[in-house]
Amino acid sequence: MSTQQFDLARESLQAPDPRQVTHIRLAGYQSWVRLRSQINLYYFWEKRWFFIAMLAGFLFLQMPTPAGLSHEGHIVLAMSLMATIMFVTEPIPLPTVAFLIVVGQVVLLGLSSNVVAKSLMTDSVLFIMGSLMLAVAIVKQKLDKRIAWLIVRITGTKTVWIAFGISVASGVLASFVGEHTVAAMMLPVGITLITLTSDDPKKVRNLAAVLLFSISYGCSIASIGTPSGGARNAIMVGYWKEFFFDPANADTSKFLIDYAKWMMYAYPMFLIQLPFVTLILLTAFKPEYRDLSRACTRLRTQILLEGPLKPADWMAIVIFVAVLYGWIFLSAELGMGIIAILGAIGFLVAGLVRWDDINSGVNWGVVWLYAAAISLGVQMKNTGAAGWIAENFVAMLEPIGADSGIGLWAAVSALTTAVTNTMSNGAAVAVLGPIVLNLAEVAGENPIIIGFITAVSSAFAYLTVVGTPACTIVYASGYLKTTDFLKVGWRMAVMSTLVLLLVATFYWPFL
Amino acid sequence: MGLFSRTKLSDRSEQAAQKTLANIRARRRSRFRVLACIDGTDASYDTVRFAARLTPQENSAIVVFYVRPIDKGAQSEGLNVRVARQNLLEAGGQLPGLQALKKSLEILKEEGLDVDTWDRDTDHQDAWGDPVGDNKVFFKSKTGRTVVLKLKTAPDVASGILDQYHYGPYNLIILNEPSRWRGNFKSIFDAGIVQKVTTMAPCSVLVAREESLVNEGFLIYNDGTPRGMQAIRRSAVLAHETHQPITLFAVAETDEERKEVQESNKKAKELLTSLGIHDVKVKSAVGDPIIQIIKAGAKSQIIVVPDEGHSRLKRVITQSTAYGVIKGAVTSVMDVR
Repeated sequence: MSTQQFDLARESLQAPDPRQVTHIRLAGYQSWVRLRSQINLYYFWEKRWFFIAMLAGFLFLQMPTPAGLSHEGHIVLAMSLMATIMFVTEPIPLPTVAFLIVVGQVVLLGLSSNVVAKSLMTDSVLFIMGSLMLAVAIVKQKLDKRIAWLIVRITGTKTVWIAFGISVASGVLASFVGEHTVAAMMLPVGITLITLTSDDPKKVRNLAAVLLFSISYGCSIASIGTPSGGARNAIMVGYWKEFFFDPANADTSKFLIDYAKWMMYAYPMFLIQLPFVTLILLTAFKPEYRDLSRACTRLRTQILLEGPLKPADWMAIVIFVAVLYGWIFLSAELGMGIIAILGAIGFLVAGLVRWDDINSGVNWGVVWLYAAAISLGVQMKNTGAAGWIAENFVAMLEPIGADSGIGLWAAVSALTTAVTNTMSNGAAVAVLGPIVLNLAEVAGENPIIIGFITAVSSAFAYLTVVGTPACTIVYASGYLKTTDFLKVGWRMAVMSTLVLLLVATFYWPFL
Repeated sequence: MGLFSRTKLSDRSEQAAQKTLANIRARRRSRFRVLACIDGTDASYDTVRFAARLTPQENSAIVVFYVRPIDKGAQSEGLNVRVARQNLLEAGGQLPGLQALKKSLEILKEEGLDVDTWDRDTDHQDAWGDPVGDNKVFFKSKTGRTVVLKLKTAPDVASGILDQYHYGPYNLIILNEPSRWRGNFKSIFDAGIVQKVTTMAPCSVLVAREESLVNEGFLIYNDGTPRGMQAIRRSAVLAHETHQPITLFAVAETDEERKEVQESNKKAKELLTSLGIHDVKVKSAVGDPIIQIIKAGAKSQIIVVPDEGHSRLKRVITQSTAYGVIKGAVTSVMDVR
């Protein structure tokens, strides 16, 4: 072998100057890459769905207005078509779709900007905004380890029971404060138990899956339990009131679904699903450790080091309980939104959370998104567009005998599950709500049952990481693979659909 | 009216600024810099082992690189995922990738880099509005050799790696074996991470395959072009410095062309001999270049192929030998630019 010495940096593989990378100089593929980085032709490919949505809307508007549909309804349908394409494909940030809906109502429908602006802020939107602020405030209280210890004290140290306990605790909390809040709060609990068991992720691969999915699916099944469980519930409550309630007609007051009434319908469904979650998880993933005594001992030590609950912790618990009381007993008079806002005010006045934390933790764009989607939903109803789609949908289902009863329920549930797996579940309910409620009227079904089927089915997005907020959050831990969601998600979807149809058949008609 | 008069930077100051910039660039380019990309899978640590073995000189730098996608907010129905992330970190949890970077450091130690005795520094930068942002730990030996562990935040992994090039530049990017490699036409619309980085990186790329580390030698493909001759020279220097046997390999598509490729091999060998690289084997075969290279290089540690630099349209029509070999080989492949 020769003893010749080379300077690798100079004489071996070359490192072109980054400045030259943006220079159109060499022939071949790299020059194409450089050219592309200069004029960004890729932009058109990345945003293709935006242009496709615009083109689809334009072409739809050029078609003659279908029989039975008003001109305004035609425009609203075109806007809904464009919004749906963009909700699913997200070529632009979702709040931008909301802004386009607002602009479209003024420019295309010819509504006054004041009317459109007023339609954006309803009690449902106020409720969503207040719940999100409350969510950040609650996460900041750092009560996670104490909740974990409370679970262990009740369930004991066996893995099976701890997983069930986590599902119950996550579920009960999530049914009141939203799945995203509880998932964010409980994630450290799950991670603490996993890392205290073993530092090597490979040794606790299945245990991690069971505990983390217990959090996310516990939260997901519970998010249907109360109106504050998810924005979609509040959206449906808003639609019932907007579409069916007439102050002059006392019979329509049944469409004013308050907090307690919602719970009577949906809470039992959450409770029935709870044991099945643990069962499904334990069959899909066999935990490596049957007992978590070691982790529990270390958790106890950490709790002891933290000392007893501080006055600020007690204050946070008092405000939280007060908000729950307000939602259950006072929401009919004050509105759920005002109570949520009051709760957020309580946390801010007591100094338990900083405005900066709320401001950075809440995704305000999503509030805009729901506000605009609800506003468009109301226009779908007002212009008759929703009714027209409903009539056609029922006519389509008639030949297969699914135009009423359980067949229609299953069709609505399947439609919602399919849509919610492709877009945010709140957006799915906002888009589908006006259609399915009109569908109920056309088919002679109870709009409350059809509305509940839609709102509940929108929680069945178990198959993907981005399907539900809780799934996104537990995936952020880095312990789960995307394929894990598929592996267990389909079982969850089947179980939830069966429970929904049973509850809708044997329980809801008697309420 | 002095307030509104325009004052220019003096020529001297401008020259000083340009000189400083040139010095920084020259300093960066005087080091042999390797970017080893990991994704936390067992197979991906081979990139770290390759990085350690391909940087024998004291002026080299290894950057072990893990890209963490941005925590997106829209999917969380209004609560930004960063709230959950912050909560997790405050509870003592770790960012995804941190464990993988720690393991990489252990692998570098196994490969003989005693980083524990080196100077150590850390750096943090906010990125993409994510407070966790980009983080790196920097190790520097007394002789000037450096190892950097970098956890980067980016919208997607491929763009994170390509973006990192601009902080280099790098002589070599090492990636793990691709899970999928689309056809030339399909890749325009839907390329995987490795394919995207390989086609778009400005520097050479090594696609590392599991277990090729136990093999020996560089099989360097000679396509007979001036560009190919440059690639032979540069990769042979690397093989020589890392004490790997070199085999020059040329493929004739028909028997009539065999003599021609043997002549080309002879020229390449002479070139290497003139550089002082003597122990060079020469081989040739007849047939389809992609199939023959894959077959001949199956037992080599690395197959070296020169990047043709064809236009995208030409690649769609004709096919690239380099990409064909990367896709089909059972051992590691270096695409030299």
